[in-house]
Amino acid sequence: MKNKLRLCVSALALMTTASAFSAEKIHMINCGDDTGKGIQLQNELIKQWEAENEGYTVEVEFVPWGQCQEKSTSLASAGNPPAISYMGSRTLKQLAKNDLIIPVDMTEEEQASYAAPILATITSDGKQWGLPRAFSTKALYYNKDLFKAAGLDPENPPKTWDEMYEAAKAIKEKTDSDGFGLAAASFDNTMHQFMNYVYTNGGEVINDKGEIVFNSENNVEALAFYGKMASVSQDGPIAYDRAKLRPLFSESRIGMFISGPWERSQIKEDINWGVTTIPVGPKGKPGTLLITDSLAVFKNSGVESQALSLAKLLTNSENQMAFELAEGYTPLRDLPEVKGLIDTDPTWKAFLDSIPTGGPEPFVTDYVGLQDAINEAVQSVVLEEVDAAEAVETAAETLEDYK
Amino acid sequence: MNSVNKKIDWFPYLLLLPATIITLIIVAWPLVETIRLSFTNTSLSQTFEYVGIDNYVKMFEKKFPSVIARTFYWMAISVSLKMILGIIGAVLLNAAVPGRTLFRVLIMPPWVVPIAIGVFIWGWMYNGQFGMISGLAQRLGILSGPFEFLAYRNSAFMSTIVTDVWIGTPMVTVYLLAAMQSISPDLHEAAWTDGASRLYRFRRITMPLIMPAVATMSLLSAIWTFNSFDIIWILTEGGPRNATTTMIIDTYKTAISRFRYGEGSARAVMIVLFLSIFSAFYFLMVSKIAKKSTA
Repeated sequence: MKNKLRLCVSALALMTTASAFSAEKIHMINCGDDTGKGIQLQNELIKQWEAENEGYTVEVEFVPWGQCQEKSTSLASAGNPPAISYMGSRTLKQLAKNDLIIPVDMTEEEQASYAAPILATITSDGKQWGLPRAFSTKALYYNKDLFKAAGLDPENPPKTWDEMYEAAKAIKEKTDSDGFGLAAASFDNTMHQFMNYVYTNGGEVINDKGEIVFNSENNVEALAFYGKMASVSQDGPIAYDRAKLRPLFSESRIGMFISGPWERSQIKEDINWGVTTIPVGPKGKPGTLLITDSLAVFKNSGVESQALSLAKLLTNSENQMAFELAEGYTPLRDLPEVKGLIDTDPTWKAFLDSIPTGGPEPFVTDYVGLQDAINEAVQSVVLEEVDAAEAVETAAETLEDYK
Repeated sequence: MNSVNKKIDWFPYLLLLPATIITLIIVAWPLVETIRLSFTNTSLSQTFEYVGIDNYVKMFEKKFPSVIARTFYWMAISVSLKMILGIIGAVLLNAAVPGRTLFRVLIMPPWVVPIAIGVFIWGWMYNGQFGMISGLAQRLGILSGPFEFLAYRNSAFMSTIVTDVWIGTPMVTVYLLAAMQSISPDLHEAAWTDGASRLYRFRRITMPLIMPAVATMSLLSAIWTFNSFDIIWILTEGGPRNATTTMIIDTYKTAISRFRYGEGSARAVMIVLFLSIFSAFYFLMVSKIAKKSTA
């Protein structure tokens, strides 16, 4: 009898110990891979958070960019959401409308730490739906040696669309390279590339009142110019998304291309390059597309408050700044360190100067629909199958369903 | 009286039960669920309403008829090429040449290499700046500059077909080779003795005897090609401007990329319908062949 009792007590003790060690999991989906220097910092912070929150373990899953957001959204709609996921901020309105994510309850102090255009990328119906994790602005990279070879002044890069076109034409005609790298693939960054032209020509997709205002003279002009650039760009822009332009630039096959600050560390060392703000259209002023990606906290994971606390730790001013510097992203907050950035590396200037006049990604309820409609317009003009006015009008009609 | 008293032997049914249950779970239930979803407006949120045949009406009001036509066009060209090349390949591999075993092995890689890897390699070959095809064509003077095969409607459409044919032909070749090897050599020898030429023997002996295999393989290949997703998705994602969007790509874009599960399900039901027709033809043909061989 005594032995039986001992056995029961031991079994109970084992069960209790096991349950004490079976910590609750916080499933976090991160886009990309774990090779970035910022991810090492993130891992250290996660360990720190786990130490402070006993009983919870964080499981980070890395999913390639192409499938990342789709996976998180599909899991959530199937009732098995990740606790936290890295999402393009443009998706937040759709997720919020479908009751899949929770608002992140930013304090006034937290809100004030972001510039207004950045806060706008995560705000819908007066609430913030994600914690900004990555921020990018774009600028024009140009190959100084190709500029010289084409008889252009490498220290005087183009400032207007016309100057950019003429420079690209000169490179195409006077060297073995193409003048410009144009992206028009069926991918999200084709829309992003085009939006740079929209914002440097005073255009918009959706206004503050939530009305679609895509069908404007400014945007027709922007799209027509995008199509015109195809004539001085590499063959077949539709086969290229933005990431495929870097190898062309690194091999001196193109003279210029528009991209984010991360390219600075990835362009081949023997290329003599410069970077400047995106040239301005006839109706616009300096600008850029402001893109933020956010950490979204999903509903019904069972660990919402813990997930929110982890996301806030990762994105607080100090930790976020360290992450951005490690990853080479444009800083989200205008902290004193940002001013020092230009002193230590002047190439940051092109990416920081246009933030105040930049525009956010359009915030709609069907971002893939928006992307498809705008990409269709871009491709139809690049292929010279439809004129810009008609393409913009068709896209604007389609966008009415997604506002 | 005997038939009334005859006991039913339940044992065979019992043996079939596990397989039946598994089939119901992994085939019948998802199919029924897809049909049910196709009558709803299910999207990202958990709530939905039944909308009758709205999804089907909407589907045919939009670009779907042209997607159906494109799917059949893509399938017809691809299957025809696979069958022609498959027959030629089988004839060559059936020829009594030294080292034919080696040739039979060498034809397999496109089929054996994981599809995604093979398609990525083709994607690089189609690249205008660094790709082999454009580079070779420039050196031979066929092209004056780089040409991006996946950037234009017609070239992208044909490029996806070429890759599909490259992957699908070995299977057809091996299948038809097996059919050719089952033909008695006596028939060819007798015809040869009578002075029949190679072409005549092929036309009057080989082709009629492998015809059932050709028909069966054509139908099977049509089903696989109709359903082919990975090749197009990896190469073009259905672009440029939907030039390579087939029914399966359109369904994926609607249901998975845009989270319109109701509308996507309606498209999936259409695919099931078409594939059921193909399958019915296939089973009809198989049973006819079986009847002929037992007659």
